[in-house]
Amino acid sequence: MKEMKLFLGPQHPGMSGNASVHMYVDGDIIKRSYLLPGMLHRGFEKGMERHLWVNNISLIPRVCVVEPDTNEMAFAMAVEMIAKLEVPERAHYIRMIILEFARLSIHLMSYGGLGGPTGLYTLMYHAHTDRNTILNIFEKITGHRVYHQYIVPGGVRKDLPVGIEKDMHSFLDDLESRYEEYRDLGINNLSIQARIRDTIMLPKEVVWELGVTGIGMRSAVNKPYDLRKVKPYARYDQIEFDVPVSDYSDAYARVDCKLQEVLQSISIIRQCLIKMPKGDVRVPISKGQAMRWTVPKGYAYACVESSRGEFGYFMVSDGGTHPYRVGVRGASYPQGLLGVEKYLPGTRLDDASLWIDTMGVCSPEIDR
Amino acid sequence: MNKQYSIFTSWRHFKHLFKKPKTIPFTSIFTKKNMNYLNNNSIIRSKKKVEMSNPRTAGDNQRGFHTNDWEVCIGCGTCEEICPTEAITMVERLDIKDEEGKLQQRPTIDYGRCCFCALCVDICTSDSLKMSKEYIYSHEDPNAFELMPEALWQGHAVEEGWVKDKASNLLDLERVHMEHESPDERKSSFIEIVRGYSKEYAKLEAARCVECGICTGSCPVQMHIPAYIKAIFEDDIEGGLRQIYETNPLPGVCGRVCTHNCESACAIAVKGEAIAIRWLKRYIIDSAPNDMYEKILMEPVSEVVDARVAVVGSGPAGLGAAYYLRVMGYEVDVYEEKPLTGGVMRYGIPAYRLPDSAINKDIDFIEKIGVKMIVNTRVGKDITMDKLEKDYDAVFLGTGFFKPRSLGIPGGDHKDVIGAMTFLPQVRDYERGVLKLEDIDVAKSIVVIGGGDVAFDVARSATRLQMLKYGKSDVKLTSLENEDQLPSSDDELFEGSEEGIELFCGNGPQEVMIKNNKVTGLRLWKCLCIFNETGSFNPEYDKECEQIIEGQQIYIAIGQSPDYEYIPESLQGKLQFSRGKIKAGEFGQVEYTPWLFVG
Amino acid sequence: MTNSMSNTEFVTNLVENQYKVLKTEVLDQYQIAFEVKKEDVHSILSLLKTSGWIQLSYLSAVDWIKDNEFEVVYIVFNWDKAVHIQIRTRLDRESASINSVLPIYPGCKYYEREAHEFFGIKFPGNPDYEKQLILENWDDIPPLRKDFDPRQYSDKKFSHMEYKNDFVNKDGKVSKQEAREKRFSDADKLRTGGKK
Repeated sequence: MKEMKLFLGPQHPGMSGNASVHMYVDGDIIKRSYLLPGMLHRGFEKGMERHLWVNNISLIPRVCVVEPDTNEMAFAMAVEMIAKLEVPERAHYIRMIILEFARLSIHLMSYGGLGGPTGLYTLMYHAHTDRNTILNIFEKITGHRVYHQYIVPGGVRKDLPVGIEKDMHSFLDDLESRYEEYRDLGINNLSIQARIRDTIMLPKEVVWELGVTGIGMRSAVNKPYDLRKVKPYARYDQIEFDVPVSDYSDAYARVDCKLQEVLQSISIIRQCLIKMPKGDVRVPISKGQAMRWTVPKGYAYACVESSRGEFGYFMVSDGGTHPYRVGVRGASYPQGLLGVEKYLPGTRLDDASLWIDTMGVCSPEIDR
Repeated sequence: MNKQYSIFTSWRHFKHLFKKPKTIPFTSIFTKKNMNYLNNNSIIRSKKKVEMSNPRTAGDNQRGFHTNDWEVCIGCGTCEEICPTEAITMVERLDIKDEEGKLQQRPTIDYGRCCFCALCVDICTSDSLKMSKEYIYSHEDPNAFELMPEALWQGHAVEEGWVKDKASNLLDLERVHMEHESPDERKSSFIEIVRGYSKEYAKLEAARCVECGICTGSCPVQMHIPAYIKAIFEDDIEGGLRQIYETNPLPGVCGRVCTHNCESACAIAVKGEAIAIRWLKRYIIDSAPNDMYEKILMEPVSEVVDARVAVVGSGPAGLGAAYYLRVMGYEVDVYEEKPLTGGVMRYGIPAYRLPDSAINKDIDFIEKIGVKMIVNTRVGKDITMDKLEKDYDAVFLGTGFFKPRSLGIPGGDHKDVIGAMTFLPQVRDYERGVLKLEDIDVAKSIVVIGGGDVAFDVARSATRLQMLKYGKSDVKLTSLENEDQLPSSDDELFEGSEEGIELFCGNGPQEVMIKNNKVTGLRLWKCLCIFNETGSFNPEYDKECEQIIEGQQIYIAIGQSPDYEYIPESLQGKLQFSRGKIKAGEFGQVEYTPWLFVG
Repeated sequence: MTNSMSNTEFVTNLVENQYKVLKTEVLDQYQIAFEVKKEDVHSILSLLKTSGWIQLSYLSAVDWIKDNEFEVVYIVFNWDKAVHIQIRTRLDRESASINSVLPIYPGCKYYEREAHEFFGIKFPGNPDYEKQLILENWDDIPPLRKDFDPRQYSDKKFSHMEYKNDFVNKDGKVSKQEAREKRFSDADKLRTGGKK
């Protein structure tokens, strides 16, 4: 049969964000494929160099749309590392709460997103309803639903509003009670399993070759390689949680890990709420008004565990009022670009969007 | 994972069919304010539905549309500066009342660019800019997305969303600590009290400035304040020095003793402590090395004018005139009756506020650019006015107010009732070693009349002399004004009290008590009001409320009057005086005598 | 995870014993940075890879325009001995080129391509490094170089939106704002002595 060129995205239910996968197919087997980023290029790294340290907080969450908080956290950590700032204890716990809610929100969304490529939209409706509740909580804490601009270098912008714990607990209890229901609807559903078991394999060697991190790696190498455990940031060293792993990385295992992480996140948030001390939530980066804040000379690379893996900010300061260089290591860079090029060929055409979804390819962070 | 699942497992989700939906209906999102727009665009057809709508309220921290209370806003433009998307523009509004410490401009926000980050709210110097819980606005005209926030949103009072609090505040409201000599230390000597900023501290203090420029308008010489503070922040002393000298030839002096009106106009002072503008200016002068001065002053004078000007008096006015005339290319000679130049700076202000070294630095600079100083020459005595008129193309009178205003109360002409400008030059001469301690007649207990900076200069100098002479001090200060209305600067009041000066504010002197031809005290009446309804000086007293304070000497510091004896009578006839000053045109030129200019 | 301090010491010993390191910075217990010579980069990276630093986390560059140099940064990570290592090296800005690390870290393929696109650094050994990745039909100098001015570029390429609103109310008087702004910009010029 003649080889044919097909596009997945930029507008496609199985494609998250504006990138496009070009595929040459023979029948329904992909022969060659590559990702075409650049439809969204917004010059973030250049933009950050041209913004003040404080102004950057309005830009950073936009690097990744669905999970803005990891960006804010990594940026804040990089600044704190160069400026040697001691973040107040309470701020650490608030940050963890925010980050775990963000993880819940994106895991729900991507679990719901599984409904796209597999054709089970009920899943998406359920997941998005719950995500909406999380966004309501975010709105109360941070003032916005999606671009929170809340975690800033030196702490968080505002203390938690009074009574927010009640909202959090009621949501966590509700989600936990319906956890089994979620599983039954999605990955325990035999028709879904038929699609996701033994497809989109990610062998261990490929993980190391590509440099895949996050759930993709953990589901293949069977080790708790989670930055929260391996090099704890914030106060993750004082929280007890498990890292779900597997030694056979098919689409099913990755979704399964994701769902187990939901339970872990619920537990982390509950522990944080108990352990959180009272006190200040922010220290300024330096003296003076915010537009004249400076950060001493230095280099730093700070990374956090996002839902898709290691999300890092490489930062250079020349001691001025602007960052000299900010580099973003998007978590899905390896699997999104090299993975699609090297390991998508050979799979079936309709599994391509499963790769995008279960590996967590987020085009905004490739196109930053 | 051994559990066996049936194809029907997921059917349990059918139970959701009977549950209340969690979705939010369209009608409960839009507000009544948008009703017309929605109806016009057929988004919601039924008007009734909109009227019934009950929009959800956003969270308490919602970063919605801005509100800005124009009464509170000072138009500093800091929001415009910080906006990461350049959405904010300051727009001139001359219909707003022109007030001290405010600019006649208010922000407009382009909501096509605004990213609702609330940085403008967090840095607002007056806390007038806030964000509301309103987050829906729609319009078919793109121009309608540029709005000027007011206290009301779309004409409605709305709930506050994101407001600045202690954690989100982006301003630095606390002044960087300035080292002062301790009261005990400084009381018994004339060492300078304020030690001045180090480079590190000056940079930190400069970092607090928001560069709004409100201060510039309140400065008598309109110095480029934000510009030179920025120069300090960027560690560019040379640039800062140039900016200072453009408007002020005596910065070393002003950096210590100017009235710093700028600091009361400072935008940061609305919520916190003003930037230490005066001290920063002093920092530039103190830290500029001499060769930097050389470099700047050696830059060629714009053009050389073949004309000579005589300046009478080497006080601030005379030197200022001399500097600018010289820069413009004139040849300038300055005449001074005293052995040292500087006038009030040299003979009035005490050394603990203004040491000779600072004056020398400024005056040396002026001398270096070619102004000739002729000291020990009193015009009218050593050289006549007529000769000046003949020798020079123009004469500038910059003579000061050295004659004390008289008290006008019984006993006010006693020899122990002493004028401030008689006493203070003695103090300065003592500091320079010209006079000895024994030569200065300072009694063991002293009363100072007056509430201005000069009164405090007298009181605090007297304290020091007493400490040196007798080992203890006893100085009382009385003024018509109450303590909170004293015309003196706050530091004077604060530091003076620290040094042990007793205050009797709000009292008017009525009689100098004299016994055996010696002053024993001062009779005071409570002062009810100082000015009458038309605003002219006419104090009223409460005779019932009388007190007598003891003192062997009375110092008067209630203002000075000029001494025009040097001007020949023939010329005096031509001049007109108003409140002690010679009347002159807009540029200081005196009517009918075109060669004569006054400060 | 335990004895993390010794992890950084381990790395320091490992690298410094065999190579001449220009500068070593220990940022914290999980991160260390080495500035090395261009010739040593590849052998240090292979040494690190065999010692367990199997993951290339990041590869990019910094433009030090004042020194006329580019600085290439490799960040590698070891999941068992949790230390991020930055390997930095300086290249001449005019003829910036460094051999690809593709044989050592295959994951570098797209990073190098991106670095070429945004800085113009050449990576011989990487077959695709010259292909365009993100910037379609780019017609200017590589944009992350410090001498590229995005404001100028966008002014040149895109039209400017002007609002027609008139909020200005001068009440029939002369503008004070303009005078103020002029004074501000004049004061700025004074710093370099432009006037006198």
